[in-house]
Amino acid sequence: MAELWDVLSEHFSEFSSGFWVTIRLVAISFAIAMVVGTLVAALRVAPVKPLNWIGGVFVETFRNTPLLVLLFISFAGLRRAGIPIDAWVAATASLGLYTAAYVAEALRSGVFAVGKGQIEASLSLGLDYPRTLRYVVLPQAFRTVIPHLGSLTIAMIKNSAIVGVSLLALGDLLHQARLVNSRTFATDEVFFWAAVGYLILTGLATVAVRLLEARYAIRR
Amino acid sequence: MDYLFDPSNWEWVTTDNNLRFLLEGFLVNLEIAAIAIVFSLAFGLVLALGRLARLRPVSLVAGIWVDVWRNLPLIFIILYLALAMPASWARAYEDVVPGFFPEALQSGRVFAGILGLVLYNSAVIAEIMRAGILSLDRGQGEAAASVGLTYPQQLRYVILPQGLRRMVPATVSQLITLNKDTTLVSIIAIEEVMRHGRTLSSGFTAFVGGVTAPVLQVFIFIGLLFVVTNFALSRLSRRLEVRERKRTGGTAGPVAGLEDQVALAAETR
Repeated sequence: MAELWDVLSEHFSEFSSGFWVTIRLVAISFAIAMVVGTLVAALRVAPVKPLNWIGGVFVETFRNTPLLVLLFISFAGLRRAGIPIDAWVAATASLGLYTAAYVAEALRSGVFAVGKGQIEASLSLGLDYPRTLRYVVLPQAFRTVIPHLGSLTIAMIKNSAIVGVSLLALGDLLHQARLVNSRTFATDEVFFWAAVGYLILTGLATVAVRLLEARYAIRR
Repeated sequence: MDYLFDPSNWEWVTTDNNLRFLLEGFLVNLEIAAIAIVFSLAFGLVLALGRLARLRPVSLVAGIWVDVWRNLPLIFIILYLALAMPASWARAYEDVVPGFFPEALQSGRVFAGILGLVLYNSAVIAEIMRAGILSLDRGQGEAAASVGLTYPQQLRYVILPQGLRRMVPATVSQLITLNKDTTLVSIIAIEEVMRHGRTLSSGFTAFVGGVTAPVLQVFIFIGLLFVVTNFALSRLSRRLEVRERKRTGGTAGPVAGLEDQVALAAETR
């Protein structure tokens, strides 16, 4: 038991820096996922067939490819191709675009839940299609799919650990835990504290989603 | 773009045994996925029933178990098991693994990967199943009880057939995620498609007198393998679902809530 606390106090700086890197990684990727996901959802519900098709290809490609493969392509692959991509860019772009595919699908289901009548009403008032999306459909769609977006964020926190075992040495929580483990060989203790770190993050995200849900969500 | 589509950068696909080498690795992924799926579904059902049990201590323990495993990163679980699992577990696995399994699955190391996949996915699937069962009208269970069925009989004949049918789309998307997650076992040095891809693109092919296999093209190819398989899987499940819905008169609504079912819920609307 004493050793459990020793591992934490002696290596606190490693753990806490990993913790913050994971938070930063998730925060940036979350922003990318929301922006790109919204754009792709707009493409998928647009009244123009080719745009639907482009959105569909994006979603099916990024949703069905393993994140580890995306990380390999975006980092090792592009570097070998002569594009000097930064490790942070590769990591956040991979995690962000991977999640964006799911965000797009969630928003699309939210858009369908808004109902055709509102879209028709808005168009008949003279708003064009982008404005209809911007002022009428998307605000409601977002509120409908808050629970979905919440579980996607939690999934993203967990998926960020994959970055830590790939070639990109960003020093996130799992990466730091492996580092400390390789120095101390106190596997159980090190992984216990890393687990606590991840459970804190997923737990906080769960609570945040519940609060948002209670405040804004629309039940349909 | 020139680099990406340059024919000489794709020559590796048709030369030597490169393609075969990759596909053999991919087969290992599919096999690991198949084993993990079977155990995750079975164990997930046990956990879901445990969580719904009327005995308070049972539902409490099952609840904590599920919440811990599904909130940890899968790669974290796999890594920890690979580092900390007692050697006797690996040996026990080697003793019980059937002889007809492929060579990559014979070693005890792969057990950490499979166990990790099952621990994580059974917890996620348990939540999906629980949501499916809870989405049923209470009256179903009460009616079943009032015609004299015991609790196991209610589950077997009334609640599970309806509840589990509702959670099919969500479960299929989780299984697609599981299929993608099999690439994570490459981290604990199991020879599957990611490892084979790295071997190919390490310059090894040129070293033995063949053509070079650039890492970008190799991993795009691996990504396509997964896209094709998973896309086919999701289409298949959608077709089955539409058929089922016609047969049952469309009463079964998909269960909403967890990571991957978003997609299917949107598609089937």
